[in-house]
Amino acid sequence: MVQRGRQILVSLVLVVLLLVTSCAPKPPSQFDQAQQLSSQPGAIAVAKNATQGSEFNAFFPKPGNGYERLYTQEKKGFAEAKLKKDGKDLAMLAISDTSSIPSAAQKFQQSTQKIGGYPAVEIGSTQTAVLVGDRYQVKVLSRDPAFGPAERSNWIAKFDLNGLAKLN
Amino acid sequence: MSKPIFEIVDQLPTGGITIMALRALDFAVPGQWNNLVGFKNTIRTVTGETDEAMIQQIGDRAVFLFNDKSQGYQRALWLYETVDTADAALGAAAFANKVGEKIPLFGFLDKLTPKPEQAQTIDLTVKLVVELVAFCQINGIPGDSIGDFLAALGDYGGESLMRMAALVCFDGLIPLGPDFINKALNGISSMTPKELEQNSTFNGVKSLIPGGNSAGQLSFINQSFDATKGWMSDFVSYRNLTPEKVVSNLQNFVEISKDKLDYLGAFLDMSTNYYTHTGVQTLARRLIERAVAEI
Repeated sequence: MVQRGRQILVSLVLVVLLLVTSCAPKPPSQFDQAQQLSSQPGAIAVAKNATQGSEFNAFFPKPGNGYERLYTQEKKGFAEAKLKKDGKDLAMLAISDTSSIPSAAQKFQQSTQKIGGYPAVEIGSTQTAVLVGDRYQVKVLSRDPAFGPAERSNWIAKFDLNGLAKLN
Repeated sequence: MSKPIFEIVDQLPTGGITIMALRALDFAVPGQWNNLVGFKNTIRTVTGETDEAMIQQIGDRAVFLFNDKSQGYQRALWLYETVDTADAALGAAAFANKVGEKIPLFGFLDKLTPKPEQAQTIDLTVKLVVELVAFCQINGIPGDSIGDFLAALGDYGGESLMRMAALVCFDGLIPLGPDFINKALNGISSMTPKELEQNSTFNGVKSLIPGGNSAGQLSFINQSFDATKGWMSDFVSYRNLTPEKVVSNLQNFVEISKDKLDYLGAFLDMSTNYYTHTGVQTLARRLIERAVAEI
């Protein structure tokens, strides 16, 4: 009898434990707000009139001198290529349409420098960008410690920035 | 509505049969895969950014991109999840209490049903097509562009290369043997659309396979496999891969005799979900690469 009572008690404890752990609220995440906003009906990540990524390809720097350029993504409002040398990833090269994310364009209002005549900014510790025609962001992102801010500026200047400006 | 992407990446396991099976393939693709898990950890590793405010911005943008269904990321996730056999969960449960000790497969033979060669051929070739279609959904290159996929395959690294290594080893070499490429090619080219329609792996993902109807889809599968056979045979010969080598590396955690390879194939099929696991890692990486470049 005692044995049976103990068994029941153990099962009850297990059931309660299971309920408590399965119903425990999820720990909050710092990305909950983005999740909520982007799950609302009608929420979109890319503007309807954003330029197709395929239209950006022509303005990327040409490969050569041992540098390889490998296109990696081509989506509406965005195109990206990888810059490699001797089989090593050096940087990512990207063009995006800021009509989908106005804040991306706003940061250039604080710009104090120019590359190729366009307002330029350094972002974080791995990124340099210019804003072309008040709309298209051209960004170079380091993927190798030896590829620093000077290299990033050089490679931004190798994009056909004026050609891209005319796309607008 | 999919689960939030940050939860999916945060919940990727760091142990279990899938992870042990993939680690066993390190000999084939040395140092390529280190099981990167956790959303913020992935942001830091992929971008090299460490500033909290920057990580927040990148993560927020990635969440928006993932949740916009028109961007294809959710379709890619669905493909990776669906092509991992429906039995995987069942198998994982059966073997769950064995983690931490060597799994004696001979004790489970009655629970494992090796797939007939035709079903295994469909698994292998459909998984390859899923890789191609998911690649296009994630990276945005037109839906049936086999040429673009081939070019990218040459640059595959990290978890993507590990996924292909596992495809070759777990769905090719082990269940079909060293001549798996020819076996699969012959199998798929003599298959009828009816036979394809009866296969559950194909049925799971067919809504996203190009080709219109099952005859067209069969020809797309055939064409895709044929186009990648060169890459696959180079992969095998360059790395000198054999079923024996794969088995001896798997023997670190599973006990199996070498004359029971079909059972080992069935075990891996049932107990791992390597397409989903590495697929989520690839998806997260690409989302984050895009997010950091757009903000």
